Amino acid sequence: MAIHQRPATPDSVLWQHEAEAHDDIATRTLGFWLYMMSDALIFAALFAAYGVLDQTTNLAGGPGAHQIVHPLAGFWQTLAVMTSVFAYSLASVAMKMRSQPGVILYITIALVLGLVFIGLELGDFARLIALGDGPDRSGFLSIYFVLIGTHGLHMAFGILWMLVMIVQVARSGFTPSIVARLLNLRMFWQFQASVWVCVYAFVYLRGAF
Amino acid sequence: MATHGQDPLLHSEVRQASTGGYFAGYAASIVLMLAALLVTQQHVLTYPAFLWVIFSLVVIALVAQAALFFGLGLSPAQAWKSVSLILTLPLFVFTIGLSVWMFHSLAPRVMPDTMPGMDMTQQPTLLE
Repeated sequence: MAIHQRPATPDSVLWQHEAEAHDDIATRTLGFWLYMMSDALIFAALFAAYGVLDQTTNLAGGPGAHQIVHPLAGFWQTLAVMTSVFAYSLASVAMKMRSQPGVILYITIALVLGLVFIGLELGDFARLIALGDGPDRSGFLSIYFVLIGTHGLHMAFGILWMLVMIVQVARSGFTPSIVARLLNLRMFWQFQASVWVCVYAFVYLRGAF
Repeated sequence: MATHGQDPLLHSEVRQASTGGYFAGYAASIVLMLAALLVTQQHVLTYPAFLWVIFSLVVIALVAQAALFFGLGLSPAQAWKSVSLILTLPLFVFTIGLSVWMFHSLAPRVMPDTMPGMDMTQQPTLLE
């Protein structure tokens, strides 16, 4: 904490009514971190439901995980999401270097890779639905679509957030609010990589055994 | 730490960014998931052994991401994030583990037709 030593003057106050060195950015990132912890519990509930419904009784004659997941195709998604997170991480290195064009360039790369990820996922969904194996086919397929789709929805909101940040950085530069938002988006985007590691192992790899 | 009126880019969370650390986290994530993919495609392990290998690789990947991406640690700037994560993890594990365990042991106990070699007529009653 930065302490400002001031000489005593006749109008010095005896006490401060609020903390003098209030760390706004740290407060905002901790608050966002706590949101992410509660978001992790939403995923925990979905993983639990997936674990319960991934059973022969819940297939209702439809395909099981073994028939619908392709771990190698899922690995391209892993590659897309990890590279996107790495690109966003480089954007925060560019922010440290005070480079506005650098931040915009790397966020754009992260955004494009995020779109690639979502495109691959929507392709999977479209193929399944075309075969008549949509979320209404069985209990298992319902939770499959909801679990994968919830992660995809997070990715979509991250992409929307990136679009907003590109505009804000281009227009206003590194104001305290924008820096706090860029830091929160970094955590949010890295968090999607962590969730994807769990989804990939739990659904794609375990399903392919 | 940044305070009102100071340059926000001097904040410790901005300074924490490092290309080397992020690259290490990226490389670790890719290599560990590639290893998990190869283990899956080999089809040589038994199911429990396979689960343990995959689970271990996932845990290592998540720890690498926590340290190298999020920069979690015990420094005053990060301590509360680490604490809240450590308090959340048991909830995460218990929610999944207990639900799955409960339903998997429930199915064989209450669904006679899922029990091999037994049908409803041979079901013992409570008094037997």
